[in-house]
Amino acid sequence: MNLFSKYNRVLLVVLLIGLISVGILFYNALNYTLNNKIDENLREELMEVKDYLHVKNIFPAPPEDLDLVIEYKPAKKTSAVLVPGDTTFYNPRKQKKESARYLKADLLLDNQPFHVLILNSKATQSRQMQIVFLAIIIPVVILFGLMALFNRYLLLKLWSPFYQALKQIKSFDIKKGGYRSVKTDIHEFRQLDEALKQMTTQIQDDFKEIKLFTENASHEMMTPIAIINSKLDTLLQSGTLAENDSKALLDLYKATKRLNKINQSLLLLVKIDHDQLGEKEQLCPAELIRQKVNNFQELISQRHIQVTCNLDDTTVLSNKYQFDILLNNLFSNAIRHNRNGGEIHITLKEGELYFENTGNQNALPESQIFERFYKDPKSDGVGLGLAILKQICIKQGYSLNYYFRLPMHGFRIKFG
Amino acid sequence: MKILIIEDELDLSSAIRDYLTSEGYLCETAITYDAAYQKISLYSYDCILLDLMLPDGDGLKLLKHLKSLQKTEGVIIISARNALDDRITGLNLGADDYLMKPFHLSELNARIAAIIRRKNNQHSNIFTFNEIEVDLGAKTITVNRHEIHFTRKEYDLLLYFIYNKGKAISKSAAAEHLWGDDADMADSFDFIYTHIKNIRKKLSDAGAKDYFHSVYGLGYRFTDI
Repeated sequence: MNLFSKYNRVLLVVLLIGLISVGILFYNALNYTLNNKIDENLREELMEVKDYLHVKNIFPAPPEDLDLVIEYKPAKKTSAVLVPGDTTFYNPRKQKKESARYLKADLLLDNQPFHVLILNSKATQSRQMQIVFLAIIIPVVILFGLMALFNRYLLLKLWSPFYQALKQIKSFDIKKGGYRSVKTDIHEFRQLDEALKQMTTQIQDDFKEIKLFTENASHEMMTPIAIINSKLDTLLQSGTLAENDSKALLDLYKATKRLNKINQSLLLLVKIDHDQLGEKEQLCPAELIRQKVNNFQELISQRHIQVTCNLDDTTVLSNKYQFDILLNNLFSNAIRHNRNGGEIHITLKEGELYFENTGNQNALPESQIFERFYKDPKSDGVGLGLAILKQICIKQGYSLNYYFRLPMHGFRIKFG
Repeated sequence: MKILIIEDELDLSSAIRDYLTSEGYLCETAITYDAAYQKISLYSYDCILLDLMLPDGDGLKLLKHLKSLQKTEGVIIISARNALDDRITGLNLGADDYLMKPFHLSELNARIAAIIRRKNNQHSNIFTFNEIEVDLGAKTITVNRHEIHFTRKEYDLLLYFIYNKGKAISKSAAAEHLWGDDADMADSFDFIYTHIKNIRKKLSDAGAKDYFHSVYGLGYRFTDI
């Protein structure tokens, strides 16, 4: 539930309860006042009747007021009750049933006890009450409505800095523009704004620093590696190496190559992050895959791997260099983690690429294989190939999944 | 054949110089932007190796300066920056080739040889090594007037060995020459052995001598000694 609906709901409940209480209270007070007035009327009428009895010793003539009815009944004895109350009666003069106030009294006429019942119809008062009630309640309801509307507007206005900040944080991209300060004169929001600004700046600075560090460190390492490499080449020219030396030389070559590979991979990751690899263009993956199969023929046949291609002619919008690395890494992975005499299945459909290979009999942990420096204990790769693959897919807007269907390990890439 | 090596890392510079000197080139080195600027302005070379990151200046500026002098030297950029932009800018500015550090000296040598050959022999694209005749234009190899059919990789590999004749070449250098960046995909370079075996067989079938000599199991040396 968002802030507004929560707030409005609470407000509405409170207002409704308030309105009903006020209404009830108001209605009762009004009723009470009007009843009092009628009762007073009734008493006056009774006094008049008493006066008539005293002075003229007769009952007065029926009143002219249509709402007033006086009934007399002989009684056995008198009691001093004088109780006003509510009732309904049939008004013979108006010929309809009406609600009314009544007053009962026992009087003596010629020493004969009589019940006197004075009824005063409440029809007129009810109408009055209705009018007064409506005249007050309707404006109150309208006022409440206006207040709710105004509240909504005010809330929207007051919370707007908060929503602006929220929107920015939601769309925050560490690699793109930073957080722009939101102007507000509300202290709490200003604090929030400052905290967000500080936090995002810090995060971006750290991120930049890490990237810069990786880049610089890799570049700095490149020169020593180049020196080692060239000295090894020089050493190889020597005609006086012993058997042991040549073995050491071979290991040095391997280690240097590996170091170089790690370095290049880290640099490549940074570059993909930086979007430094140029524009996108329409590529024909089927053609590129065939070229790769051809290019890696030595590696494939060396391990007696059977490659099956099922390629539709489709095009993909991609950066050529990144797509090339993507295919390289898929091939490298499928060959390296294959078994001798195994299989590779490559399927290209409209918008989808499947790379499947035989390998060991257990599924790999999908959550880990794309992490940097994750690798199979038996593998002698550097553990960055799949991380690069993932990074390219993210950058190019592809989805990348790993799946295992005995006996094939598979990667599925959905373009676009 | 004069070569100028513009490289600020002394160790690397000397390794390159030693290797190229043994190939019969006359090498000069410059380790700063200023020294390189002077040498470029004063002398002529057949080929210039240019490091882009010099302590006191940008190598690309040197390239611009060189081109503004209307000089025809072949230029190979050697850089630790593998930035695509640098590569494109460099080649656009008139560099002939771009070599990414770290590289094998044999690779550098082959590239220099290719450039010098291209610059000097505008008319004839044919050169020979004893009875082996290479036509660079048609990419064919003939022995005793018989053309031998090589695959593209075999041709490239043989040419690479001929360019580096007399030098020991490691399998990894040979693999990198054939595959470029993709070479690091392979865990072993035993397939180079297969290629060499095929080349040897084709050459000897055509009556050529066997010039390949194994070096410590690390690589091969192509030599007539």
